Amino acid sequence: MIRRALADGYRRVLSAPALLCGVFVLTFLLALPLAIAMRDMLTAHLGRSMTAASVADGVNYDWWQEFLAHTSGLGATFTPSVIGFAAVLDNVSSVMDAQPEAAPVAGALAAYILGWLFLSGGIIDRYARQRRAGAAPFFSACGVHFFRFLRLAALAAVAYWILFVHVHRWLFGAWANINRDLAVERTAILWRFGFYVVFAVLLAAVNLLFDYAKIRTVVEDRRSMIGAFGAAAGFIRRHPGRTLGLYTANALLFLVVIAAWSFVAPGAGRGGWSMWIGFAAGQAYLLVRLALKLQFMASQTSLFQRSLAHADYVAAPVPMWPDSPAVEAIGAP
Amino acid sequence: MALLAGGSVVVRATQAYDRPVGAARSPRNANYEIEVRLDPVMHTLKGRETIRWRNISAHATDQIQLHLYWNAWRNADSTWLRERRLGGGTAPRPDTFGSIDVTSMRQRRESDTSTDLTPQLRFIAPDDGNAADRTVMAVTLLAPVEPLQEVILDVEWNAKIPRPFNRTGWIADYYFIAQWFPKIGVLEDEGWNTHQFHFSTEFYADFGVYDVRITAPSPFVVGGSGRQVEQVRNANGTTTHRYRGEDIHDFAWTASPHFADLHRTFTHATLPTVDMRLLLLDEHRGQEDRYFRIVADTLRLYGEWFGAYPYGYVTIVDPAYQSESDGMEYPTLFTGRSRYLAPSTVQVPESTTAHEAGHQWWYAMVASNEFEHAWMDEGINTFATARVISEVFTPNDLERRYFGGSVPWAFHDIRVRRDVDGNRLPGYRLSPEADVPSTPTFRYWPPTAAAITYNKTALWLNTLENLVGWPVVRQSLSTYFDRWKFRHPSPDDFFQIVNETAGQDLGWFFDQVYRSSNTFDYAVQDLSSVRSGNSYRTTVVAQRLGEATFPVDVVTTFGNGERATERWDGVARRATWVYEKGSPAVTVQVDPKRVLLLDVNYTNNSRTVAPRGEEAGLKWALKWMVWLQDLMLTYGFFA
Repeated sequence: MIRRALADGYRRVLSAPALLCGVFVLTFLLALPLAIAMRDMLTAHLGRSMTAASVADGVNYDWWQEFLAHTSGLGATFTPSVIGFAAVLDNVSSVMDAQPEAAPVAGALAAYILGWLFLSGGIIDRYARQRRAGAAPFFSACGVHFFRFLRLAALAAVAYWILFVHVHRWLFGAWANINRDLAVERTAILWRFGFYVVFAVLLAAVNLLFDYAKIRTVVEDRRSMIGAFGAAAGFIRRHPGRTLGLYTANALLFLVVIAAWSFVAPGAGRGGWSMWIGFAAGQAYLLVRLALKLQFMASQTSLFQRSLAHADYVAAPVPMWPDSPAVEAIGAP
Repeated sequence: MALLAGGSVVVRATQAYDRPVGAARSPRNANYEIEVRLDPVMHTLKGRETIRWRNISAHATDQIQLHLYWNAWRNADSTWLRERRLGGGTAPRPDTFGSIDVTSMRQRRESDTSTDLTPQLRFIAPDDGNAADRTVMAVTLLAPVEPLQEVILDVEWNAKIPRPFNRTGWIADYYFIAQWFPKIGVLEDEGWNTHQFHFSTEFYADFGVYDVRITAPSPFVVGGSGRQVEQVRNANGTTTHRYRGEDIHDFAWTASPHFADLHRTFTHATLPTVDMRLLLLDEHRGQEDRYFRIVADTLRLYGEWFGAYPYGYVTIVDPAYQSESDGMEYPTLFTGRSRYLAPSTVQVPESTTAHEAGHQWWYAMVASNEFEHAWMDEGINTFATARVISEVFTPNDLERRYFGGSVPWAFHDIRVRRDVDGNRLPGYRLSPEADVPSTPTFRYWPPTAAAITYNKTALWLNTLENLVGWPVVRQSLSTYFDRWKFRHPSPDDFFQIVNETAGQDLGWFFDQVYRSSNTFDYAVQDLSSVRSGNSYRTTVVAQRLGEATFPVDVVTTFGNGERATERWDGVARRATWVYEKGSPAVTVQVDPKRVLLLDVNYTNNSRTVAPRGEEAGLKWALKWMVWLQDLMLTYGFFA
């Protein structure tokens, strides 16, 4: 079942390339204004200085540190971690260590999450129906589910808030207590990564729950998000092996992609074409990451639909346009 | 110090009789015989010592002053902890405190009897009058001690070993024991120089012979200053380790059952052979080559540059995680710094290890007053360490750590440079005006003290090297070493030698970098070329933005490759040059060779008519954009 869901998810993602393009454009466009602002800051600091030549042709770490000494806010996020695979380490590390982001970046992240909340309804709907529907029905589905997902996101926000504010503090407070008496760094690292695993599992559990809540909301045209949440929990409880197995398989795929990127991520590079090749490589990597995120959604949708034993299992929506994917599935020959 | 009519400075020693006795290297006027027992269950020390102290100052004294450094962690109101709080440090947990209590002090008399001085012991706070600070103790002697006269004291004490504080203490079964015994201050011609323990400064002591017996449970591997001369297994499961160090001014030791005791020999065609002993912890096995190699390189280069390391032995301690004992120097013993994950192209453990090995010259032998002139050891040594690292450690990649510091990442694109990174310009740039370096170091603002002590000194020494050349600086330092090893030099002793070696009065330079907190910042204000008949009239305006002054070259390059170099004294706020040339100017640079490393903003030092700022900005904005997109995707997990 897991293998079939994976393969089916893969097929569904490939059959809707426009979705991948759409989320890629979202990721690109939301980052673009801040990137332009960053470019302006860097350009302004370099001015007409001869230093700019070495900055363009490679890395001038001396200038870099001078720039950082004279900047704050968005500018302060321009650290060596932007180079190559360090970006991934930096970003995952900042999430796992619950590090706050600079205000402009936090704003972009909030907008990005909102963007995904808006698109998720349409994306799941498209994957569930498994047929081309055009832009109007897609955005119609996005609109229909957006406010439901906002309510669901409020529930999720509470859960994540508890995890990041309380559980994280408790877990890493416990680590600090253990660490206090350790004289061997190797042991401290093992403990720390143990706590990371615990925290990651908790995050994944919440994520899994809300993933299926969204899927059930769309597939079954649910209006009550508390109900969807409960239904998702029930589904996972009834199919723990499948749901967890699929999630783990997708997570492993994610790790494979990350590991591959660690080998091929371009370094600082030079100006001109080298700069654009590096950027293109970065965009290609992001495209794969986005495809993986869609693969999570598509394969989980597939798994849920394949697990529906009979028509009684789903809610019985009023058969009026647009029918829910479940109604459509039941009505299909 | 006396100023003669001609303006030349005659410097005299801080102690009238500070010359070596007999065949010794040092005056050997502060000698200790110590017996100490480590209780690893209660984390305590019980010790007794005999101090033989000779007055080498010009005047008699009727008292003795002693440091009791561990009382810095006796209570939260000690001067050390008060100063730490200024930097935002939190109050320590009650179970971290340590302390030292002198239980008995007797002065020996000629008649083989002794008199109990214990009732007369009193605490003094010469620096800030802090009654809660018990880091300096004074006692009135039976009679004044005349110059060159000796006094013998028998002292007993108990000490509670702190959790790690400032490079001393215990964690798990690792002990690093430093500044741990009642230690006599320095009597200078001007009087006692016995400062309280301060957060941002270190120590000052006279030379002597240390004969120390350390008793610890037998499984413990023990290392100490000096050379191990005896090891006796006792019936009660303990072993007594006897160390003897001559011509040293401090004694530190360490104990852990997890040390591997490794030895290699440093040999050199002209320098003395040195037995290098490395006490390496299990988790850093595999890094012994890196430790030994960098220590050997430091012994070689410092030996060739400044003078020979004469002791014949040195102990390198690989410190335990969280022991806070990393990166600290003691005579003939020092600690390195390493990590469990230590990429081979990153200068850990090399950088710290080279620095602490270098302190054998600047601190252990040239024993300047670290309370008052910390730059004389830390700053000079930072400068010299950066030189060693640049010579022997390549590639030297930048490292950043993630996941709470657990995971290192070496940036192969970014090489750590000696002039900027080794001399620590970025740290200095953040607070260049924090303190005037000539201020006694213990009065620096604690949070920024290191930037002035280490960074600014290293930067101005490298600037001096750029100005007068490495041979002159090397000669200055080797003369300084030769003249002041096993003595206590003052800043003017150093400046006098530099002037002497350079053959010029560099007082103007020391006024700028040492006696002032002013900032250096030169810039190009304008560059324009206007056609004038068959030629171009080029106007160049250089500007001084900072308050400090330094002579700089201003180099203008023209389109036909012609260059015009102007020497500007850098004193006025700005200087203007006008050229009539066949080609327009294409670039101008103030201080193009970057002689002045203290310039806090070098980007504004140049201007070009073909700027590439937009291209550079675009390139790095694209890199940054990928980072931001990746961050978005990471947070997209929650959507």
